[in-house]
Amino acid sequence: MSLLTGESINSGYGDMEVLHDVSFHIEEGEIISIIGPNGAGKSTLLKTIFGLLNPTKGRVIFKGNSITGLAPDRIVRLGMAYVPQVENVFPSLTVHENLEMGAFILTDDFSDRLEEVYELFPILKERKKQRVGKMSGGERQMVAMGRALMLDPELLMLDEPSAALAPKLAEIIFERITAINETGVSILIVEQNAKESLKLADRGYVLASGQNRFEDTGENLLANEEIGQLYLGG
Amino acid sequence: MQILSRIPQLLIYGVISGSILSLGGIGVSLTYSILGFSNFAHGDFMALGAYIALGLFALFTGLRIPNTPFGPLSFGFGFILSFILAIGLTALAVVLLDRILFKRLRRASSIILMMSSIGVALGLRNILQFFWGPQPHYYIEKIQLARVIPGLNIRIKPDQVFILIVTIIVIGVVHYFLQYTKMGKAMRASADNIALARVTGINTERVILWTWVIGAALAATAGILAGIENKFITPELGWQMLLSIFASVVLGGLGNPYGAILGGMIIGLSEEVSTAFISTGYKPAVAFIIMIIMLLVKPTGLLGRRR
Amino acid sequence: MESLVGIVNYIVFFAITAGTYGVLSLGLNIQWGYTGLFNIGIAGFYALGAYTSVLVSGPPPGPWGGRIFGGFELPFLVGLLAAALVCGIVAFLIGIPTLRLKADYLAIATIGIAETIRLVLKNESWLTNGVWGLQQIPAPLHGPIHSGVSNFLHGHPDLPAWLHSLVAKSYNWFYLLLVLVVLFILYLIVERLVRSPWGRVLKAIREDEDAAAMSGKNTFSFKLQALVLGAMIMGIGGSLYAHYARFICPSVFKPLYGTFIVWVMLILGGSGNNRGAILGSFVVWGIWAGTDFLTGYFPFSATQAASLRIIIIAILLEVILLWRPQGLLQREKRASEIPYKRS
Repeated sequence: MSLLTGESINSGYGDMEVLHDVSFHIEEGEIISIIGPNGAGKSTLLKTIFGLLNPTKGRVIFKGNSITGLAPDRIVRLGMAYVPQVENVFPSLTVHENLEMGAFILTDDFSDRLEEVYELFPILKERKKQRVGKMSGGERQMVAMGRALMLDPELLMLDEPSAALAPKLAEIIFERITAINETGVSILIVEQNAKESLKLADRGYVLASGQNRFEDTGENLLANEEIGQLYLGG
Repeated sequence: MQILSRIPQLLIYGVISGSILSLGGIGVSLTYSILGFSNFAHGDFMALGAYIALGLFALFTGLRIPNTPFGPLSFGFGFILSFILAIGLTALAVVLLDRILFKRLRRASSIILMMSSIGVALGLRNILQFFWGPQPHYYIEKIQLARVIPGLNIRIKPDQVFILIVTIIVIGVVHYFLQYTKMGKAMRASADNIALARVTGINTERVILWTWVIGAALAATAGILAGIENKFITPELGWQMLLSIFASVVLGGLGNPYGAILGGMIIGLSEEVSTAFISTGYKPAVAFIIMIIMLLVKPTGLLGRRR
Repeated sequence: MESLVGIVNYIVFFAITAGTYGVLSLGLNIQWGYTGLFNIGIAGFYALGAYTSVLVSGPPPGPWGGRIFGGFELPFLVGLLAAALVCGIVAFLIGIPTLRLKADYLAIATIGIAETIRLVLKNESWLTNGVWGLQQIPAPLHGPIHSGVSNFLHGHPDLPAWLHSLVAKSYNWFYLLLVLVVLFILYLIVERLVRSPWGRVLKAIREDEDAAAMSGKNTFSFKLQALVLGAMIMGIGGSLYAHYARFICPSVFKPLYGTFIVWVMLILGGSGNNRGAILGSFVVWGIWAGTDFLTGYFPFSATQAASLRIIIIAILLEVILLWRPQGLLQREKRASEIPYKRS
């Protein structure tokens, strides 16, 4: 049984349909990368999976159960976490408080988990009393991911984590993503920076105009010249 | 020179007035940042609190609950009991209002919500007027003598000291709640970005509930304190203060509860001190002008808020 | 027969007031319905229009109240146009600092302005007679019509009572005609404007101001024009009211009558639709009048009845907002209007 499956999903905003008949699956422990040009519907797909949008057709199945149409705060309790592309931290709260909010639904003590997250992002431990609004883009991205990891999710979804980051910082973020995966978290990552994300992905999907175009292993997609020309321009 | 000698006394009045405006403003700020609209009914929540306290007090007096004044204050146990219960009942009433009305408009635009709150404001005010009438109702019959503070040329009444102490305690409690409790932090997080709060798993409906409860409790407190300060209340009590409260909130930074406190104090002081120079008939205009200047110079307010 | 005449006379009075509110609704429709400006200060323009018109066309200052200004006794139409002009100018001055603000701030600012106007009207007695108000406001053609009616009635002493009663109130029929004509002319003008390229820009601003700005339009200038035009129309409404009521004072223009009820009228009728605006005024005024009769059946005091009527209108507003916020007559959708929510 796949960890997450999307079956023939149609979704969009109001009358405007963005995704047509999109299907995919993620197995436990994988890093899956979704690439494609702007407006292809990548972000829309993540939002549909996480319940921020309701699909007009198709299903989303997580750990064998349909989560189609469930609200985000229900889905978060099932073991999935989502980091939006922008506005993904609480700027007037400190690092520590942001992480604390990530663990909001936990009733027990979460200090163990907090330590684990700090181990993944040592720089955050140093800055834990700092207001996140004053931090740099790269640090904020780490806070955003740390926050999502507080509930020890089985699947972590990242929407363009390296967007608006300088290449050096993007590199660090990608490296951290691999580290997170090594702790057993499956990752679904949507990226404009196709090359980098395919490098660390086990498999990838190419989405264009709201439809599946290609599906293959990360290596094969990278090597594919047609894709390289059409979509890997960056 | 004559004018200058009046300033210290006016400053005292200003701090009292500012305290009441601050308590009213915190609720407006929280509602704006978490629920996304300016609540024009907030003033009438204050009036509601004031009248519920009045009604309870009449009831308790009838039940012969003792009200011998505490020390130099004008009131005793009976009134304090009414005060506390009124806060609770007002919060309950506002939560009910949310369930019936605002909850169904969660997804509506902020303008529709504002329009709706104006309807609530007028409706609430007239419900109070329907039952109690437009004439003033007195909290405290006797005139209390002001004590002179030697050397400083100012007079202050014990009731006014009570107002200041209550304000400080309440603000302290609110501060502690927002900074050190889980729900308080969740409220601050929701004020930053309620969509993200939902994504994080925070139960935003519960946060909204707390926002209304705290806002209403503060409004009721402010309304009752206003009644103590003015000696009487009328159904128009809230609406009259609403413009000054909005000005305070805008001045401090719409959406920032600490800004509301700062703004409230500044507006309160400005309004009172202005009476030394211009006619009291234009007091509300002072708040309004300060607000307009703020909007032109720094619209995010003194303490700002990144929205 | 007598009571029928009574009813007819009441309907005339009703229609005059509803028609005046219709004018106000048309003005608000330009600002809110077409451009999306949240103006809660209608009462201010209403009052300003009324006072201007009276000061221009009314009698010189009398012994009461301390007024020393105005009373130029110019013709009614001059007063009407002056009302529009002054409201337009004030709206222009107000618009410059406030129109760049977000809806919430604009709302608060417009309340403040209306409140300031009311305070000025109340305090500056040299200009407005303060709380004493302005009396003996002339009504257009009142003299000629009144003498004509008197002569007619004197010349026909054997008229049946009901006909006598009807003819005696002829002036009201004339005023009703005046109001309806003004309303109709304004309706035509506004309809023409909103269907023009100018009107299309307004609608674009209402839908998505950023997009409109990006297509090169000076959105601020258009919003200012909408504010000014709407305010001028509201000023005309104020003038129509003043010359019918023949007495005005600051407390007449409380936020309820001037502002809230016009908003309910526009929302119920359908914001963004001029016929909706007019329909809304008649329907809501009808409901308002209805509440008068309704509360009359119960032993309420005068203030209780007044409060209850307002509570009913407030509930009406909430019901509309919950169940049919677009109003009775929806605004016309354009083919290019694809509902698109940004993520």
